[in-house]
Amino acid sequence: MQTVLSIAIDALAYGMVLFVISIGLSVTMGLMRVVNLAHGAFAMIGGYIASYAARDLGLAYGFAIVLAVFGTILIAIPIERLLYRRIYGAPELTQVLMTIGITFCIIGIANYVFGPTLKTVPLPPQLQGSVDLGFRAIATHRLFAILCGLAVALALWYAIEKTAFGVKLRASVDNAAMAAALGVRTEIVYAVSFAVAVGLAAFGGVVGAELLPVEPYYALRYMVTFLVVVSVGGAGSIPGALLACLLLGGIDTTGRYLMPEFGEFFFYLAVIAIICVFPRGLAGRAKG
Amino acid sequence: MSMTTTNDLIAERPAKHRFGGGDLIGLGVILALAVIGYFLFPNNLALLTRIIAIALLVLSLDLVTGYCGVATLGHAALFGAGAYAAGIVSAHYGINDPIAMLAFGIVAGAIAGLICGAVILRAHGLPQLVLSIALIHLFHEFANKASSWTGGSDGLSGIAPSALIGLYEFDLWGRTAYVFGVVLLVLVFFILRLIVRSPFGMLCRAIKEDPIRIRSMGASPKAALMKMYIISGAVAGVGGALNAISTQVVGLDSLSFTMSAESLVMLVLGGTGSLFGALTGTIVFMFFEDVVSAANPFHWLTMVGALLIAVVLFAPKGLFGTAAAFVARRREAK
Amino acid sequence: MKRTFLAALAALAMSGAAYADTIKIGVVGPFSGPFALQGKNFKAGIDAYMAVNGSKVGDDDIEIIYRDVPQADPAQSKALAQELVVKEGVQYLAGFYFTPDAMAVTPLLEQANVPLVIMNAATSAIVTKSPLVVRTSFTTWQTSTPIAKVAKDAGVSKVISVVSDYGPGVDAENAFKAGFEAAGGQVVEAIRMPLATNDFSPIMQRIKDSGAEGVFAFLPSGPTTLGFVKAYNENGLKSGGIKFFAPGDLTQESDLPALGEAALGIQTTFHYAVSHDSPENKAFVEAASKAIGNPAELSFPSIGAYDGMHVIYKMIEATGGEQDAQKAVDAVKGLAWTSPRGPVSIDPESRHITQNIYLREVAKADDGTYYNKEVQTFEKQGDPGLAAVK
Repeated sequence: MQTVLSIAIDALAYGMVLFVISIGLSVTMGLMRVVNLAHGAFAMIGGYIASYAARDLGLAYGFAIVLAVFGTILIAIPIERLLYRRIYGAPELTQVLMTIGITFCIIGIANYVFGPTLKTVPLPPQLQGSVDLGFRAIATHRLFAILCGLAVALALWYAIEKTAFGVKLRASVDNAAMAAALGVRTEIVYAVSFAVAVGLAAFGGVVGAELLPVEPYYALRYMVTFLVVVSVGGAGSIPGALLACLLLGGIDTTGRYLMPEFGEFFFYLAVIAIICVFPRGLAGRAKG
Repeated sequence: MSMTTTNDLIAERPAKHRFGGGDLIGLGVILALAVIGYFLFPNNLALLTRIIAIALLVLSLDLVTGYCGVATLGHAALFGAGAYAAGIVSAHYGINDPIAMLAFGIVAGAIAGLICGAVILRAHGLPQLVLSIALIHLFHEFANKASSWTGGSDGLSGIAPSALIGLYEFDLWGRTAYVFGVVLLVLVFFILRLIVRSPFGMLCRAIKEDPIRIRSMGASPKAALMKMYIISGAVAGVGGALNAISTQVVGLDSLSFTMSAESLVMLVLGGTGSLFGALTGTIVFMFFEDVVSAANPFHWLTMVGALLIAVVLFAPKGLFGTAAAFVARRREAK
Repeated sequence: MKRTFLAALAALAMSGAAYADTIKIGVVGPFSGPFALQGKNFKAGIDAYMAVNGSKVGDDDIEIIYRDVPQADPAQSKALAQELVVKEGVQYLAGFYFTPDAMAVTPLLEQANVPLVIMNAATSAIVTKSPLVVRTSFTTWQTSTPIAKVAKDAGVSKVISVVSDYGPGVDAENAFKAGFEAAGGQVVEAIRMPLATNDFSPIMQRIKDSGAEGVFAFLPSGPTTLGFVKAYNENGLKSGGIKFFAPGDLTQESDLPALGEAALGIQTTFHYAVSHDSPENKAFVEAASKAIGNPAELSFPSIGAYDGMHVIYKMIEATGGEQDAQKAVDAVKGLAWTSPRGPVSIDPESRHITQNIYLREVAKADDGTYYNKEVQTFEKQGDPGLAAVK
């Protein structure tokens, strides 16, 4: 029993970290219909900024997070204006080519500017160490990541389902021409959504840095994981992504505990099984 | 609201060649390039042979992605299966005749195509992409586990192809391997031209455009796509076997996500849905990579990234696709 | 066909003999991609050697040509090696971070008349693949065997072994097991985990449940190391008194700033620590730091490269700049010198480097940085792995 609980806790923590990092991708892919393979690159930029702010400038952790989010958005704005705007509505494969190109460039630049070593974001004393849950210890920052995940999920759900902006966004996604005719400035809606997605990526990059350390190859190393999680959930669905993260986190963690030798098999067989049962992802809607 | 599948989005290109002349021109261009390559880069034949092997992989990918609209990031599974099959029969069973090794590679590639097709064709769009990613990782893990057969992460060595038709040794200078590769490429290209323009090839294109209509016409889209997947596997198997024979070593990288993704990048770079596009993309990408990585082994990735971005900005249909469209427009203007 | 081939070979050999005023060395390594750091260290070691010893041997200028293989990719590695030999006319091949890349090149050597000096790839069997291979780095067996004795001496008799599931990981597992059982200990469980593991909490739970008193771990240096060591701390294994043993890949100097406090006290055995106290090492670290730019990036591949260059310089001296691979290799068999890592020699039989292996402990220096502090020396260690594979 204790072991089961213990695995469940690990699964929850891992799943939530995955969620925080990948949810931004779900926004770009599901709502904006851009296969954004550069998502990891933005998360990495966020991690680098936070690392620089907290470690080299000695700023507070919370301030470093804010700086990372807004710094990354600032960097992303010209990229969106010059490059992404050209691929909205373009064939998927063209988007893949463009975003992989962007990723390569960002990796190269990060390697040049920051060097190839690992960078960490030093945690404030409150988040260091472990919390004793009675039957086992869990790292405090993991609990923090779980809370962040829940907060992000709630905030996004509220923004998309309950606010005027959310209505405009959904309208622009479903029928951009009609939305524009009704007076929605789709360009601004897209720009804001993109900024939110990038900001979320950066936020996830910082919060998840304890698990996925920041280094130049980050952008490609974890890209597959993000892509898998988002697609299994059904791109664009917040609850779907949450469910997928918890499910895949659980399968991954259990597999790695029970038979680590076949950990990869477990994970990917589960992915295949889920998609065969839910060909549009867990929360995919019938027709887009 | 699922993702729109690639099928609907890839710009269709009308068949331009009404008669077989296009084939002859195409074959002529390949042969001319091969001869030019041989004399222009006599010391680079290893690279040229590698380009040919990868070109076969990209051609094979084009069959399913460009002609059938299947999005896959796991196509190296077919290539790797061919490479490992050719390698294993030589290293473990002493079958060293290059032609026999090639045959094993083709069969293994086709079988891998069957397996991959059976799984990948169960979904569309983004979930399909993820199925292919899961598959390639499973293949990779499997080869890693079966290390007594595949050499695991150390790579499969001890492949010793005997002389081709008993006459030409595979040596350091790689002339035999190169000529062998060129012959294979020309043969495959010729056969593929026939296939994609046969009624079956047209059916596949139609499935890409509108699978529902095809079904209502009484044809089975699934069966046609499976068939194409097996053909694609055989082609990728040729590439894999050529790679195993020419380099005499097979590594896990030949079953990797990286290689799958790279081949997709090359295909899109050249232009999907056209055999020439696949060739153009491979040649341009590999040459570019070779040149910039030799010029600056430390920071060449940025240059490759810039190339990809530039292609999307200035040649959105891929290098060959855009060039072909340009030529077609000029012709219409006259 | 055959005749042109022979003619070309002859021409190549002649050009090597008569006009070799520039001797080219082809270095293949991971200079970009996920292992760019290790490739950078190759270059730093080579640059450092040439800065200290000059870029000339006798009258011959030495020129280094770098080629990039970002991840293990034997086919690419072989194609590049072929290109280096045939097109660039290199007389020596060197570098090679990954075992499969080195293995792929060995069949070429004899025909190309080129020696191969391995600066990292650590699988024992490589040297058996061709008589023209010399290795100046280490093998996983060589660095993992002494830690077994350390573990036993520390009073640990039950150990769980946890390694990444790929060639070197399996090597480490076998080496430790052989050494530990010979010393009278027991490996209670051997876990192999996928290379792409991000979250190590379940593995830590497994370790706890196994009832072992210590854990032996091997992971490739880089991001996974960080996750593993952090998980070891955060899941209460460190505070629970489960001891941690590993070869030095886990605490390579360039990862230490990131590992920080978490790595404090971890014991590893390895062939080189940047902190090694000797005048030779002081000179090396100074030159290599200058070459790499950021001294915090300096790590173990640099020393393999540095000594590799030493071997190549000796080869060039012995052959007078002529291309004669066998003579070059013969000349360095038994060669002994004082490397920055300590006294080393090339074993005449295996052509692998015999060296001291050091037990080190991660410690905090006065200026707040972390380093590997050498606490014990195992002198003149050969490669036990060769006997094991035979």
